[in-house]
Amino acid sequence: MKEMNSHKKVMVIGGGIAGVQAALDLADSGVEVYLIERSPSIGGRMAQLDKTFPTNDCSLCILSPKLVEAGNHPCINIITNATVEKVKGDAPHFKVKIKKEPRYVDEAKCTGCGICMAKCPVKIPDTYNMGLCDTKCIHIPFPQAVPAVALIDKDHCIYFRRGKCRICEKFCEPKAIDFNQKEKYIDLEVGSIILAVGLTEFDAVLKDEYGYKIYPNVVTSMEFERILSASGPTQGHVLRPSDAKEPKRIAFIQCVGSRDTQIGNEYCSAFCCMQAAKDAIIITEHLSDVEISVFGMDIRAYGKDFDKFIERAENEHNTRFVRVRVSSVDVDPVNDNPIVHYEEDGHVRKEAFDLLILSVGLRSTPQLRRLSAKLGIKLDESGFVHTTPFAPISTSRPGIFVCGTFSGPKDIPESVIEASGAAGSAGVILSGFPNKEIVVEYPSEIPINDGDRPKVGVFVCHCGINIAATVNVKQVVEYIATLPYVVHSQAMLFACSQDAQKLITEKIHELGLNRVVVAACTPRTHEPLFQETLKKSGLNPYLFEFANIRDQCSWVHQKEPEKATEKAKDLVKMAVFKVINLEPLSKMRLSINKNSLVIGGGLAGVTAALGLAEQGYHVDLVEKESELGGNLRHIPYTLEGEKTGPFLKSLIERVNAHPLIAVNCGAEIEEINGFIGDYKTTIKFNTNSQKYQYSELGMIEPKERKQIEHGIIIVATGAQEYQPTEYFYGEDKKVITQRELEKILAQVNPLRQAGPRKLKVANGKQSDNLIADIDHLSSVVMIQCVGSRDDKNQYCSRVCCSTAVKNALMLKQLAPRVKVFILYRDVRTYGMKELYYKKARESGVIFIQYDKDEKPEVIRNENSLCVEVKEKIMNKTLQFTPDLLVLSTGIIPNSDNKFLSQTLKVPLGTDGFFLEAHVKLRPVDFATDGVFVCGLAHYPKDISETIAQAKAAASRALTVLSKDEIEAEGKVAYINETRCSGCGLCVDICAYRAIELDPEKNIAVVNEALCKGCGTCAASCRSSAINLKGFKDEQILATLAAI
Amino acid sequence: MKQSDNKTIRRSDDKTNYEPKIVAFLCNWCSYAGADLAGVSRFQYPPNIRVIRVPCSGRINPLYIIKALQSGVDGVLVSGCHPGDCHYISGNLFARRKFALMKKFLDYLGIEPERVQFSWVSAAEGARFAEIIKKVTNDIKKLGPLTYFRKDFEKTGKVL
Amino acid sequence: MRQIEYEIINTVEKLFADKKIDIFIGYKKGTLSLQTSPYFLSEQDDVRKLVWNSFCSNNLAVFIPRIIPNSKSKESKPVGILCKGCDSRSLVGLIKEKQINRDNLFIIGISCPGIVDRRKILSRLDGKEIIGIDEDADSIVVKLKDGEKRFEKEEYLCESCLNCAHPTPSIYDVLIRGAVYSLQAITPDPITKDFSSKPREERWKIFETEVSKCIRCYACRDACPNCYCKECFAEQTKPQWLGVSKGLSEVIFYHIVRILHQAGRCVDCGACVRACPMDINLRLFTRVMVDEVKERFGYEPGISLKDTPPLATFSADDKQEFMTEPE
Repeated sequence: MKEMNSHKKVMVIGGGIAGVQAALDLADSGVEVYLIERSPSIGGRMAQLDKTFPTNDCSLCILSPKLVEAGNHPCINIITNATVEKVKGDAPHFKVKIKKEPRYVDEAKCTGCGICMAKCPVKIPDTYNMGLCDTKCIHIPFPQAVPAVALIDKDHCIYFRRGKCRICEKFCEPKAIDFNQKEKYIDLEVGSIILAVGLTEFDAVLKDEYGYKIYPNVVTSMEFERILSASGPTQGHVLRPSDAKEPKRIAFIQCVGSRDTQIGNEYCSAFCCMQAAKDAIIITEHLSDVEISVFGMDIRAYGKDFDKFIERAENEHNTRFVRVRVSSVDVDPVNDNPIVHYEEDGHVRKEAFDLLILSVGLRSTPQLRRLSAKLGIKLDESGFVHTTPFAPISTSRPGIFVCGTFSGPKDIPESVIEASGAAGSAGVILSGFPNKEIVVEYPSEIPINDGDRPKVGVFVCHCGINIAATVNVKQVVEYIATLPYVVHSQAMLFACSQDAQKLITEKIHELGLNRVVVAACTPRTHEPLFQETLKKSGLNPYLFEFANIRDQCSWVHQKEPEKATEKAKDLVKMAVFKVINLEPLSKMRLSINKNSLVIGGGLAGVTAALGLAEQGYHVDLVEKESELGGNLRHIPYTLEGEKTGPFLKSLIERVNAHPLIAVNCGAEIEEINGFIGDYKTTIKFNTNSQKYQYSELGMIEPKERKQIEHGIIIVATGAQEYQPTEYFYGEDKKVITQRELEKILAQVNPLRQAGPRKLKVANGKQSDNLIADIDHLSSVVMIQCVGSRDDKNQYCSRVCCSTAVKNALMLKQLAPRVKVFILYRDVRTYGMKELYYKKARESGVIFIQYDKDEKPEVIRNENSLCVEVKEKIMNKTLQFTPDLLVLSTGIIPNSDNKFLSQTLKVPLGTDGFFLEAHVKLRPVDFATDGVFVCGLAHYPKDISETIAQAKAAASRALTVLSKDEIEAEGKVAYINETRCSGCGLCVDICAYRAIELDPEKNIAVVNEALCKGCGTCAASCRSSAINLKGFKDEQILATLAAI
Repeated sequence: MKQSDNKTIRRSDDKTNYEPKIVAFLCNWCSYAGADLAGVSRFQYPPNIRVIRVPCSGRINPLYIIKALQSGVDGVLVSGCHPGDCHYISGNLFARRKFALMKKFLDYLGIEPERVQFSWVSAAEGARFAEIIKKVTNDIKKLGPLTYFRKDFEKTGKVL
Repeated sequence: MRQIEYEIINTVEKLFADKKIDIFIGYKKGTLSLQTSPYFLSEQDDVRKLVWNSFCSNNLAVFIPRIIPNSKSKESKPVGILCKGCDSRSLVGLIKEKQINRDNLFIIGISCPGIVDRRKILSRLDGKEIIGIDEDADSIVVKLKDGEKRFEKEEYLCESCLNCAHPTPSIYDVLIRGAVYSLQAITPDPITKDFSSKPREERWKIFETEVSKCIRCYACRDACPNCYCKECFAEQTKPQWLGVSKGLSEVIFYHIVRILHQAGRCVDCGACVRACPMDINLRLFTRVMVDEVKERFGYEPGISLKDTPPLATFSADDKQEFMTEPE
């Protein structure tokens, strides 16, 4: 590999979802990426998961297109079996040495056909399947592996051990086997480094009291993911290891290796509660009459739609959540049933189960410690990369960024957000270098003429057993072969795998296919993949049709295999009839306006604006209020105890001083017109505000309205604090919110540090004599979930537990004698926040759990408040008469989200926050191109998460802004001139103003750059004179004719 | 190109064992995604629908619906984004006007209103999608096959 | 009647004399009794052949798109046209749909007392040969070999005229005021109301029976000013909406679609009904859409040049009571 430090280059270490996302974002912004992966395939942990919560998307199904995209991207060099040896120099001139271990298979020659695997006589444990079944000594890691290249496990290979065999070599047609391969060293020069390696799951053997590896029917959650998976050791049949029988009673033990002082992992692993709930729901889909128990301390369902998911598990999927810590597990020797011991209501209980799953958390490893030593970055006590709340993706070494779990356990979307954010941060480092020129070469297109006979190839996917377990794929394939113009019809195990793409290409060439149908999951995720395959095969990508036989067939008719098969036949037939009528299309190119509009000047908006400006792009920042800063102005310090004031101040100063950022305070969006690359927005300055804007010269210009032309939009409009109506808030001065308490504490704190033992707080409307003297407080009660997780706002506000812990700690620090009681439903101090929860308990803060249906009650007497709560463990009603009652109020969506959502044509979720394109893998994108979201507008989140997401939004926007032009829709409206009477109906109804009447000819004319392809015009034209490419009347009628 | 394979078998007038064929025109951005979500969530519903994906409910030419009824389906469902959610700003709202008139007209002529139904299903409403399919399928099962306005029946002279 | 006819003739004569128009479209005596024919006349032709009587049934607007091909350019001289209320409503539609430029028209509007339905009278004559026709303000006198028969006009008007809300043209350059029956326009029309009240099966049976008479001659389409498509859906091959057979389902398809295409545009002039050689009661099916459009969207086609046609716009608050909700 030749190196020239001529353009933007970044090394991404780790090919899991975080690394892949970072690589894709960078590559799409014109950066050349070296993606270094230690194992033989990219994909990481996510490739091993069965489903993802809370949508229960098939994990590999949503991941696989990204892997394929990374594998195919002209700007991404994937280096597998590779580790970092050495890193020298400083940003943006790092010199890196990579060591690539031998694979004994030539990556350039191997086709991934799998013959070697079939012929190899040696079985070894399959690490992809957590060792639950065997694979061969020469093997492809998993069906969707990228690269889909085999490798030989040297330690087990007979030839390497005894000098004989070489069977694989004999059968390998492309002559890819190379027993002489040696390790290789690769020298790279990169501008920045992104550390995206993940943590490893906790080794459950260390918790020997739970009987892992002692009792056969105790498995880890990672093993269970494979057991659930259609491509796993049991093909998705839930069977227990000891006797391969279906378990009826299944239990999960949570926090195995997490929140555990004993073994030294005090943090929470952040995702295991939801993972258990997800597994529970999936189990009930596999098995009927099954009972599921989840033993854990809190249910940490702190994300978007997580609580609803838990409720679904409880109410519809026979799942019981038991709030206990399991003390030990033993076994019934007769039937190998694990017996769980725990204490509940003061009694020791024993309960036997058929199968026990240990929800293992994450941990650091010696290998990760060595890697960080090579990179010269600091780790914290847990062995995670040290970051700060205000720089959550920066490591201690400039130019090296971190994303994913290495900086602390987290879920997929947070990892993806950090990955995009890291890509953006790396981009800032590289802003002095030119972009990598992308020259994608496709073979010249096979010409398709009007009269050519259609030759259709149909590929029907098993999707492991996702489709094949319900739909009789063989029957479908045979039936389809009888249809007119179908010259080829075949089944595929995974149509999305790289070898499947190869096969489709081969068939196109071999049989002269000029139309392709794939019957598989859903076009919404996989159509682009197959269209790309067509392009690479020289076929116009629009000569493709997708039959949705999984999401809309096998998965929804699981109990009616015959009817599902009939339906699948129809669906594929419809696709065939349609594809016959399809024609090649081409796309128009649109130029991109390089300016950006960031709506909202809080932490998210300001961070995003800086992220864009620092890479050289002009930003208009619009803030409703008269100053920047948003909610952060009311949060004086972080959970970690860092003051926010200086940070926010310097951030705002940077924004105000940045020549590329135009700050528009006191302004609101009036109108937004246009589309990706070409937006025109009118903002209106509030009449009661300062009516100013900074010009690029820093001059202040008064103005009432301003027109902005820009190419992308970032929505960072924030959210609001819930204003409580409960518990006498606003009526009794002793009742305040956390935010108000925090303000007082922040005022007290510096005075306290200054010396005087006793002090008065003079200002602040809440501060009266009662609380002016903190030392006089004897007890403070905090009530959690006020305005969250109730009928009004059904979601968890995510940050209030940490806020309560933060303020309780601060209170304790300022006045150690004050008694603090926190009444909670679940303490959701996820991830590293758990350490502060522990600290709070250690400093004497008392946590009391209450039930949703038995909320604390407050009785107001003349001079005192009485708080009553039913304590669950002792089942007693407790009474408090606090000096101060602090309400942990939730976060509610902005009321003007609705307006913005309609103006931008982007959706809101059921809770009123903006709904991203995909909750796992596209957490900052909208379905509408060119619009991105970050911060509280998306969902409640903390400061670090907001910063990461804002950086991610900027990074995603850069994938657009870095291009001079993008391609318009291919499926656009067109006019049949001989039919058009020029009535102008289409002109009137086009929402994009894409149609005009030609005054000379008196017929309609479509502007393809503006047309979005909705087809409303075509459906309204009585003469069928305007039609929609790809959805022409005759194409739709042909589809209908197939039914 | 029209095949007449399994239709004859299916087309018994026996209402009890009768499995209607229903064509569902779904807009790509909301209802089709909602249908996918129903799948992802494994919400089970009757296998009688055949989905035709269109970019927007605004793309639905009323003629498709008439054509579908004429050429052998027993019912038609059209589903788009909820008002205000349209990916194409207002396609569904133009469509709503057309649908309203069409619905009225077909009813007036004597076609059972259950034969042609319109709904809004968002990308987040997998359960709603399944429920609507259940309802539409049940409705049409109750009606029995559409016999009076079908090309293939006409040939056999059954209707006349 | 005669008085009005003179007025028309005088006006047209003057238009030609003043060189305001080169061509005028009116009515002349028809080849059959109880009928008139459209009359395209230029200055050289005999203005005196123009007639005005109760049988001037054609909607003359239908010819406009055909003789003025380009709506945009302003012709040197406008085309003169005689317009009843319904004809003018059709012209409004054509202007709004950009098929003609208002400036290219010189409209002689005429307040219409209603058109007598030729078929209704014929049905009372038992096939006897008609020798002559006389018409006064209120009645038609049909002279037969064996005497004459008097028909009160009010009883023999076309269905659409019976419930005409706008007998006076909505646009015109010159208006000739004649006697107008003081008719009460009722919405919904009694015939659709009556039809709606019938059981579903019966409604379909009636519809089927009516349209089964259709021979697919397309006279209904050709008589309709709204049907100016360069290529009608019924004759398109790509896409092929209709088969070529006269099979019932094809005929049903044709009529449903024709009526849907008229939604929000049909001015209820009755031209299609009168044009149908098979006496299909088309208005029974076309009128319902007129009423529905008025009720649902508050829109009456052909009344104003300004308001937006109902299918070219929407309101966020449009009623959606017809949408399916899960049970």
